[in-house]
Amino acid sequence: MGRGTLEKLDAIRRGELSAVENVQQALERIKKQDKRIKAFIELNPHTLAEAEAIDRKLKRDERVGKLAGLAIGVKSNLNVTGLRATCASRTLEDYVSTYDAEVVKRVRAEGGIVVGMNNMDEFACGSSGETSAFGPTDNPAAPGHIPGGSSSGGGASIAAGLCDLCLGTDTGGSIRNPASHCGVVGVKPTYGLVPRQGLIDLGMSLDQIGPLAPDVQGAALLLETIAGKTPNECVMLDVSRMNYMSRLQGDGVKGMRIGVSPKFAELTDPAVMGVIDGTVEKLRDLGAEIVEVELPNLERGLPTYYLIVSVEFFSATRKYDGRKYGKRIEDVCGEEVLRRILRGRYISRKEYRGKYYQRALQVRTLIRQELMRAFERVDVIVGPTVPKLPHKLGTALTPMEMYAYDYLTVPANLAGICGGVIKAGEVGGIPVGVQIQGKVLGELDVLKVMRALEAAT
Amino acid sequence: MAEREKEIERSAEEIVESFVEAARELPELKETYYSQEAYNIVRPDGKPTPAEERAKFRKRFISNMPTSDEQGNLKVEVARWAEER
Repeated sequence: MGRGTLEKLDAIRRGELSAVENVQQALERIKKQDKRIKAFIELNPHTLAEAEAIDRKLKRDERVGKLAGLAIGVKSNLNVTGLRATCASRTLEDYVSTYDAEVVKRVRAEGGIVVGMNNMDEFACGSSGETSAFGPTDNPAAPGHIPGGSSSGGGASIAAGLCDLCLGTDTGGSIRNPASHCGVVGVKPTYGLVPRQGLIDLGMSLDQIGPLAPDVQGAALLLETIAGKTPNECVMLDVSRMNYMSRLQGDGVKGMRIGVSPKFAELTDPAVMGVIDGTVEKLRDLGAEIVEVELPNLERGLPTYYLIVSVEFFSATRKYDGRKYGKRIEDVCGEEVLRRILRGRYISRKEYRGKYYQRALQVRTLIRQELMRAFERVDVIVGPTVPKLPHKLGTALTPMEMYAYDYLTVPANLAGICGGVIKAGEVGGIPVGVQIQGKVLGELDVLKVMRALEAAT
Repeated sequence: MAEREKEIERSAEEIVESFVEAARELPELKETYYSQEAYNIVRPDGKPTPAEERAKFRKRFISNMPTSDEQGNLKVEVARWAEER
């Protein structure tokens, strides 16, 4: 790993490294490595011109913003003017964005340079990075294995050092899962903290945009750049811009109450759980109080999530009829996307809505209540991110086997809480990430725990 | 296509069945549609976009159309069901 995010920003500000040099290095690494990794679908042809503009501002001592000169990858389901928002699907393979998503506007306003659009699972329907119409992404931290998904390109880009920071999206674990498999940092913010305007949705009551980064400070910096309300977003918390960076330091985890649940061990591969248990002990050594919490219905989250997301996805995809833009989705999409559309159509039928969908919304309430009760006793809940190690690329899995990757990440989306992932260790050379789940708007606590673990490594 | 759809539909039903099993014996509760109930339905009027930017936007928008006429209007195929009537 090269220098940390803050060190690099500092080097750019002091003129030791120009923004142009930084993005040139990123582009060279992409050119050299991305044929094999497939982390990017498209590169921004204006990258160098944007970097030159930053360098000119720096020379004139003008304000450049907190991300000045950093190379940013953007998941291909976010709109970036002039670049294709393909959702890694043939449906939108020629769709050129007509505007910048709100988060992209904010990144650009702070001097971040979009280097390209990251590969992903098609329409974010996947947990492995294998369902992209542009080919599967490899895992640079464990070559030959899946990088996790659906923000597969983002996770792989950070792990291979192809860019500095990435914007991913998380509907049921799509930031946290690749962060865990690729050994990088990822944060799924509280639902409603980050504006989704300009995001091509998978499940609108669950989607959140968040950062993938090589270190906790990079994730915190990108998160505080994109967080906060906008009048252009219809479902959003009433929170103004956040400041995590200045509050990250301090006492670390000393005195923090950290929840652990015996349920995690029931659902997780013992080798993965061994790494997580070691992390919990590390937190105890750092001065945290470890408290056991009950999450009896945790595993019920998975089928509940897939029911809700199928209905919302079915609704979201009705606009892809091939008339105004793109192609008719059912004619060109991959198997998993079609599976979710058909499932959503089936559940949306009038006679089944009450029986399945509304019942799923009730189970969502139960899971939310359960997590809220746990958070009355603790500041964060620490556990595994993914219950098993990533499989080898191309391994045939049944849909249920594939969905099982999401057991431990979907509850946070159902409850609307936040969660962060940082590398905890390795099993047989494959990274294992620890998940730190926080309360509604508890991002600072999550970041503090991750920072303490990072500093202790 | 029909055969592929049927096979995928069968696998799609798997998760529905596993949900029915998971939800059995759980209490009836209020439904949660959004985890945070904070709606911002009425947007305040913003500043109008400059004419130059609007023109660029229109150009970009039209470039995504599958087909357009000489005036730049969207041309769409008559729906199959309408032709069959």
